[in-house]
Amino acid sequence: MVQKSDDDKMLALSKNLVMAVSGEAGDTTQFAEYIAKNIQLYKMRNGYELPPAAAVHFTRHTLATHLRSREPYFVNLLMGGVDPDTNKTELFYMDYLAASIPVKYYAFGYGGMFTLSVMDKEYTPDMNEKEAYELLKKCVAEIKRRFIINLPKFRVRIISKEGIKDMPHIVGEGEAA
Amino acid sequence: MALEAINGVSRYHSKLDDLGEEMVIPEIGNLKNQYQLCTPDLPKSECQIGEFLIDETGRKIKLNYAHGTTTLGFKFNGGVVMAVDSRATSGQYIGSGNVKKIIEINPYLLGTMAGGAADCTYWERVLAKQCRIYELRNRERISVAAASKLLANMVYQYKGYGLSMGVMIAGWDKKGPGLYYVDNNGNRMPGNVFSVGSGSIYAYGVLDSGYRSDMSDTEAQELGRRAIYHATHRDAYSGGVVRVYHIKEDGWTKITEEDSKDLHYKYAEEKTKRSQ
Amino acid sequence: MSILNYNGGCVVAMKGKNCVAIACDLRFGVQSQTITTDFERVFELGPQLYIGLPGLATDTQTVYQRLQFRIKMYEMREGRRMKPQTLMAMAQNLLYERRFGPYFVEPVIAGLHPSTKEPYICALDLIGCPCEPADFVVSGTCSESLYGMCETTWREDMEPEDLFECISQSLVNAFDRDALSGWGAVVHIIEHDKVTTRYLKCRQD
Repeated sequence: MVQKSDDDKMLALSKNLVMAVSGEAGDTTQFAEYIAKNIQLYKMRNGYELPPAAAVHFTRHTLATHLRSREPYFVNLLMGGVDPDTNKTELFYMDYLAASIPVKYYAFGYGGMFTLSVMDKEYTPDMNEKEAYELLKKCVAEIKRRFIINLPKFRVRIISKEGIKDMPHIVGEGEAA
Repeated sequence: MALEAINGVSRYHSKLDDLGEEMVIPEIGNLKNQYQLCTPDLPKSECQIGEFLIDETGRKIKLNYAHGTTTLGFKFNGGVVMAVDSRATSGQYIGSGNVKKIIEINPYLLGTMAGGAADCTYWERVLAKQCRIYELRNRERISVAAASKLLANMVYQYKGYGLSMGVMIAGWDKKGPGLYYVDNNGNRMPGNVFSVGSGSIYAYGVLDSGYRSDMSDTEAQELGRRAIYHATHRDAYSGGVVRVYHIKEDGWTKITEEDSKDLHYKYAEEKTKRSQ
Repeated sequence: MSILNYNGGCVVAMKGKNCVAIACDLRFGVQSQTITTDFERVFELGPQLYIGLPGLATDTQTVYQRLQFRIKMYEMREGRRMKPQTLMAMAQNLLYERRFGPYFVEPVIAGLHPSTKEPYICALDLIGCPCEPADFVVSGTCSESLYGMCETTWREDMEPEDLFECISQSLVNAFDRDALSGWGAVVHIIEHDKVTTRYLKCRQD
């Protein structure tokens, strides 16, 4: 059942760091907000922001600690950002077991699996914003075509050293051949 | 046809032929009638391999056999292209990297293998025999629709006994190119684009985004090859050699058999060139 | 499927003449899905001290980070480099701490004694049972195939170049028979005066 058609599954952790979360309802928002608030607290205390790699390390540590507790969080997440000091773009995969891996691109879930080979084929590290947006459109079209569940709209955000920018939503088009 | 009947040749076989009222399995079994397999004296649901094998603690012993695969087939204006990988796994162990997963039924018909390797090879061999008999009886080639229906009927007789197969039957007949998907549940459907196996989701990604009905022959062959390659890369249970076949009006031809390792480094090089 | 095989991956270490080698594959996957092919599971813990941590990737990372912390504390307190034998005891300790809820990794240690330069290899199981043979140790998803390869290719007193060839062939041919590991390999040859690291070109399926 569609409860909300424009739920935001991404959370800004700092000026140029975003976390996208999937997993069990409840866990996702609770965990994401806990991480986001702690990262903001760090900035208030120290006067500077955590760079992406450090934020990922903190997130992994939190998730890994809870994994061996009585109530583990069931969340898979992707964290993407730009290190303001080095200008390096970074994207991290993290699954609910708290394995954190730097990736070029990834998509979680069964629907996401259809898009992996599309990205394997088309992705190049030097794509510009427009090319990347077009590639995402292809991925969404593939999910629309093959995934049994109808996912109506996809939110797109671009994170650069200038900050976070919202792009127009992608609505899937196309049907199975 | 009447001559056949006088000589005692029966036209239609089923698994129940030759079985007396007491349901005794005759000595020669499927040597005479390939439809007749020994079925244990157990309810259907317990006839699956591995289901009735129990170890000393009462746990079911799992029997792993070839499951991981990527196969695909699609129709376009220039005929049918079929492409497959060649890896056979049992569990995580790679039993072979050079399996032929496209079965050449006759010069105009191809079948693919996914699921249990033994199930696919056996039933497609029986299908090959039936197709040949059909040709001799009717003096014309069997249609793809009829061939796939024969296979679907054969495996449907054993529905629930644990057969595992997801095959595509493709060929060329009077109606032009034909492509059918048949599986052990009794599903049989015609279609334009199919992919079957553990790597099929990855193959679909490439296939759907690159598919057009007006592709040239080489474009279509490359699309099939590419889709299988990407599946072998992402799916642990697919790999080995990428085989591509093309079916046209005059029957099928084998286009290429390339090692996915060579393909990987070739595509990687093309990508670096493209981004420069 | 065992949780130890969830992410795939394998490590092997071998003794040579005054040198040791340790090598691993580069796949990180989730069951049948390969996610990245640059995940190194062998880590440098000292100038001539390496540890391989095949198993569940999250625990590979956790165990590596916790070991690193303990080693740094040890070396600061003692003011000297750690012996491979000490690392083994420390890893054993760390693993046994979780005797009743283990880390799902089976470490392999390879290194040279900081002063005597004596080669050392060892493997531990997931709760810290040590195994210190004179020839080679294997661990990970294709350990059966690795045993077979190493049993046939390993010779006594191999020079560094021969050792490299031996460990590379053993690893690559073993994981080519395993669906859950492969997709590239890295080999470290540890000698008394240098460590050579090489990446091998492998099948990508």
